[in-house]
Amino acid sequence: MKWSRLFPAVFFLIGLAHPFLLPAGEKVVIGEIEDVLLLPWKIRIPARIDTGAALSSLDARDLRVEGGFAHFKLSQKLGGTPLRLPVIDWLDIRSAEASERRPIVEIDLCIGSRKVRTRVNLNDRSKVRYPLLIGRNTLREHFIVDCLQERCAPPSCEEASSP
Amino acid sequence: MKRTNLLSGFFFLLLVAVPAAGAGAEEKAVIGAVEEVLLLPWGVKLLARVDTGATTTSLDARHLKVEENIATFQLPDRYEGMVIRVPVVSWKEVRSAGGKEKRPVVEMDLCIGARRIRARVNLNDRSMVNHSLILGRNVLRRHFVVDVTRARVQDPVCPVPRKTEKQTPPAPHPLPIPE
Repeated sequence: MKWSRLFPAVFFLIGLAHPFLLPAGEKVVIGEIEDVLLLPWKIRIPARIDTGAALSSLDARDLRVEGGFAHFKLSQKLGGTPLRLPVIDWLDIRSAEASERRPIVEIDLCIGSRKVRTRVNLNDRSKVRYPLLIGRNTLREHFIVDCLQERCAPPSCEEASSP
Repeated sequence: MKRTNLLSGFFFLLLVAVPAAGAGAEEKAVIGAVEEVLLLPWGVKLLARVDTGATTTSLDARHLKVEENIATFQLPDRYEGMVIRVPVVSWKEVRSAGGKEKRPVVEMDLCIGARRIRARVNLNDRSMVNHSLILGRNVLRRHFVVDVTRARVQDPVCPVPRKTEKQTPPAPHPLPIPE
């Protein structure tokens, strides 16, 4: 039997298999900046994807904590929606200048095609460009970051697209 | 027979065309949340934080001084306090909580995995921070994608010039010894 007669079969098999040979196929590739949806409200928030941050962070205005709940508003730019979420933990930040305690809450986000429930710390981010920072706690297991790209994975979760 | 040839041709095209279409992402190597980076030509291996939130790359430079456009500084003690002298190519203004600050920017070769990358690095005293080197988007953008589930994915394997290996380049003015 000639080897050339095997080529069709070989290419056929490689052709079938190659989608599975691509690296990290199960993780969603996202850019350095992405618009994500805050669920269930479907509020579109521009986010900086930051592998340097251990914990994600959300811009919370007029923040106060009462009876274990964080009461805050999103910025006017995002519609100023008032939110009330249970505080599940606290983040202690020590810097050269001062120490600070920030409440941590859990939120549902749609990033690319993935819906993820994730922890975020709440603080006033009015001085920084992006109201949401997606840190390593959210990225782990789900996403791969490609800094060459921006807004390459628009939010497309099933839940988000339903009316 | 003809039909199988046609079929194999189709899959061959698929095999060639699909990776080519995604070439921008495909050529990039995957790195983790922290990676070992070899600083060349000095041959020092540093553990770097991979930080897509940082515009530029920065290095912990102790006892930093700039004279006649040459930056002289020391690496942290865990790198045997190696002294590095390198020309300043520009200055970067940084806004931080403390106010405005100007940092010297130098060019260095970073070896990550098998890639030797010439990169701009800004210098500042980062003694408060865990990682001596922060890999920012200027280095990540063209070469890597980041998977924070992983760490130390790539072993730096670039050849180190023998003469400078593990040696301190001569410093004309000895630096003060830290307490």
